[in-house]
Amino acid sequence: MHDSILTYAKSRYLWIALALTLASLIAYIAHDPGGPPNGGTWLGYTLGTIGAALIVWLMLFGVRKRNYRNSPGTLRGWLSAHIYLGTSLILVVLLHSGFQFGWNIHTLAFVLMLVVIFSGFFGVYVYLRYPNLMTRNRDSATRTAMLDEVAEIDQNALALADGIDPKIHAVVLRSIQNTRLGGGVWTQLRARDGSDIALDSLHASLAERDKRSEMKTTEMPTMFAMVDFLAGRATDKQGEAMRSLIDLISRKKGLATKVARDMQYQAMMEIWLYIHVPLSFALLAALIAHIVSSFFYW
Amino acid sequence: MRWLIRRVLKKGKGAVSYEEDVHYGDVLTIGRAADQAIFLPDLRVALNHARVTQLSSGQYKIESLILAGIRVNDAITYTTTADAGAVVAIGNTRLTLLAAPQDYDAAIEVSTLDKSEQKAESALRAKPTRLAQTGLSKRQPSWILFVAILVFALILPMIGHFVPGFGELLRRLPLLPSTQSWNPGTLDSAHHFFANDCTKCHQTAFLTVRDKACLACHANTAAHADPAKFNLPQLGNAQCRSCHQDHEGIRGLIRTDQRLCSDCHINLKARTKDASTFADVSDFGTNHPEFKVSLPEWDANGKFAPLRTTWAANLKEDSGLKFNHEKHLKPDGLNTPSGHRTLTCATCHLPEAGGAKMRPVNFDAMCHDCHKLGFDTLAPDREVPHGKVAAVAYTLNEYYAKVALEGGYADARSPDIVQQRRRPGSPPLSQQQQQEALAWARQRASEATDSLFTGKACSTCHKVTPPRTADDTWHVAPVRVSGVWYADARFTHAKHSTVKCEDCHDGAPKSTQSSDVLIPGIANCRTCHGGAKAKDKVATTCIACHDYHQSPTLKMGTL
Repeated sequence: MHDSILTYAKSRYLWIALALTLASLIAYIAHDPGGPPNGGTWLGYTLGTIGAALIVWLMLFGVRKRNYRNSPGTLRGWLSAHIYLGTSLILVVLLHSGFQFGWNIHTLAFVLMLVVIFSGFFGVYVYLRYPNLMTRNRDSATRTAMLDEVAEIDQNALALADGIDPKIHAVVLRSIQNTRLGGGVWTQLRARDGSDIALDSLHASLAERDKRSEMKTTEMPTMFAMVDFLAGRATDKQGEAMRSLIDLISRKKGLATKVARDMQYQAMMEIWLYIHVPLSFALLAALIAHIVSSFFYW
Repeated sequence: MRWLIRRVLKKGKGAVSYEEDVHYGDVLTIGRAADQAIFLPDLRVALNHARVTQLSSGQYKIESLILAGIRVNDAITYTTTADAGAVVAIGNTRLTLLAAPQDYDAAIEVSTLDKSEQKAESALRAKPTRLAQTGLSKRQPSWILFVAILVFALILPMIGHFVPGFGELLRRLPLLPSTQSWNPGTLDSAHHFFANDCTKCHQTAFLTVRDKACLACHANTAAHADPAKFNLPQLGNAQCRSCHQDHEGIRGLIRTDQRLCSDCHINLKARTKDASTFADVSDFGTNHPEFKVSLPEWDANGKFAPLRTTWAANLKEDSGLKFNHEKHLKPDGLNTPSGHRTLTCATCHLPEAGGAKMRPVNFDAMCHDCHKLGFDTLAPDREVPHGKVAAVAYTLNEYYAKVALEGGYADARSPDIVQQRRRPGSPPLSQQQQQEALAWARQRASEATDSLFTGKACSTCHKVTPPRTADDTWHVAPVRVSGVWYADARFTHAKHSTVKCEDCHDGAPKSTQSSDVLIPGIANCRTCHGGAKAKDKVATTCIACHDYHQSPTLKMGTL
């Protein structure tokens, strides 16, 4: 069976994380702090030390990831431990705080930690799910191959459109100019393939023409009228070219959608890191502030 | 209008030559059709692609004739005006508008992009296809956040600690974090008034709160223990902060948990090598000895010296008073001079202000209504004062001396001189008559005194003993009708106002003897109160009733 990062080494780190969680929980329940539970009891300091050590160790994953030689353990093992121990951190830190929250830097550190952990959960989700989706979407092509094909289709479509009518040529030209593959963060994440509205309407208008070949309205939209007119007076050759053009454009649209989706999957697999990593450094700073201030005003 | 059309011809190895052409007309047309002023044989160019008109010298209007628009200075547009130097890109042709040279009204340069230029152009126009190409970065925000949080959450407040003026400024300016942002929790409500000043307690950075910081205010707080009696270090490190930790909410920093006491008050005998006489206590509900009740006792000098003894059901006390509760608490009431009244506990037992203890029963307010202290049937309104034996004798002597002098005392047993009413103008009494009258007065006062102390008045409630010598007065035994029965515990009637008096003092309505101890023992408390872990009772820890080794005399500041 395929060994995912979650089931790595028979889920060894899941059991370690569960043991840590359970031990913390039992200690917390058994512990009688004499007052409200808080970070200043012996158990509070112990859990706090474990939590801080875990955070520093989890952040070292970023160093381990870049270090290909002389590192103990496999990267997969590190990642598996990173995920499970990172998750157990939620409870360890909650128990450390004794569920005391406020408008202070201590709770800020906690909130930052939660955001980092939950963005990590999203990362686990996309890492487990998206590679499959990506492979299926690409259908054994590469993105470069698909982009090359789009460029080729563009050239062919222009040649074909030029043979039909200058107006159709202009429409195709515009479609090429407006086909946006890639773009800003939002565009990549939303998988907008940038298929041109003019193209869609061209396609729709042909379908419309087929449907109501006899119907004539005085106020037909320009595009419909144009296609109507063309198709109406088109010779067989022109009609043939027109259909080929639409086939080409449909193929291009399909390809563009695939490329956009490919970009979306890749962006989704990366975007969470732009939250996870910077906020983990914010957390590190907040953690330093939390620890230093706690002992500054001991 | 004369247009200069300059074509750039590339000849390899970077060599370039120009071919100039003139076009006459107001409009410069660009397209793939043969009739265009600038003819571009490229499939990406429409037949009639665009036109340029000159607005004024060096200023042009560029219009797109197709839906797709036209790229001017790298922005797609339909109609725009541009100065000389503007670049129009169509397919792989680059058109540059020029300022009109001499002899021309307008000029344009046409150059075809070679392969490498086309590649560079398309790379330039290519949109990012990966997040890393969008300017999104991990490293930069990481550094910014790391430094910002370190500065705002740690360094600024820290400077505020060392430079008080700056700290004050931070506190006053909105959104800037001061040392307040380090506050892990609400302070005890009593400490709120200096909550803005962390250094009030946290005087030295990286040092725990020292006792002297506490003593700045708490010098006059009762000391916990007499160091001569208790080994303070053994009572928990003996620093204030060992037990009193603030920032745990407004409910305070006084420990109330059972472990505070039960940690030590178990195995006390073994622990102190038999030095301690205290019984072990660990839980009010399950392991607490019977209460020690303070019964009224007086020493040889008449000073109140209560006797501490273990409470028991059949315990008797001697309060010095005779009182029958049952007679007074008759459910159908009593006939009194002021009418028919039904007495209740609250008729006589009224709480002190604050509600903790009961006020002493007061003769004048509570008994006098029925129990008159009259001494002479011929003067039923006259009464002796309550409380002072000597005052009784004065009052009687003075009263009968006055009667003897005024006369008119209608008692056949008294001498004539006392019975005779003296009218205005009648001659004064002779010396002999005066002595006779005074002798009678003394005799009568003495008789009345004896009658009061032995008859219906004093001895109804008090234990009285006659004078031991001729000069002595009657003696009334000392009385204790209220007070603290459990001296080492705190009990508040006010907090128990939800229960009836007889729920605890159940023997009271039927008690006929004042020697009955009507104060309940621990079993009564345990009907409602259990230990700290009691589930079906009021969870009660030691501190609910007891103080932590509080000294009655020593102060924190003078230990």
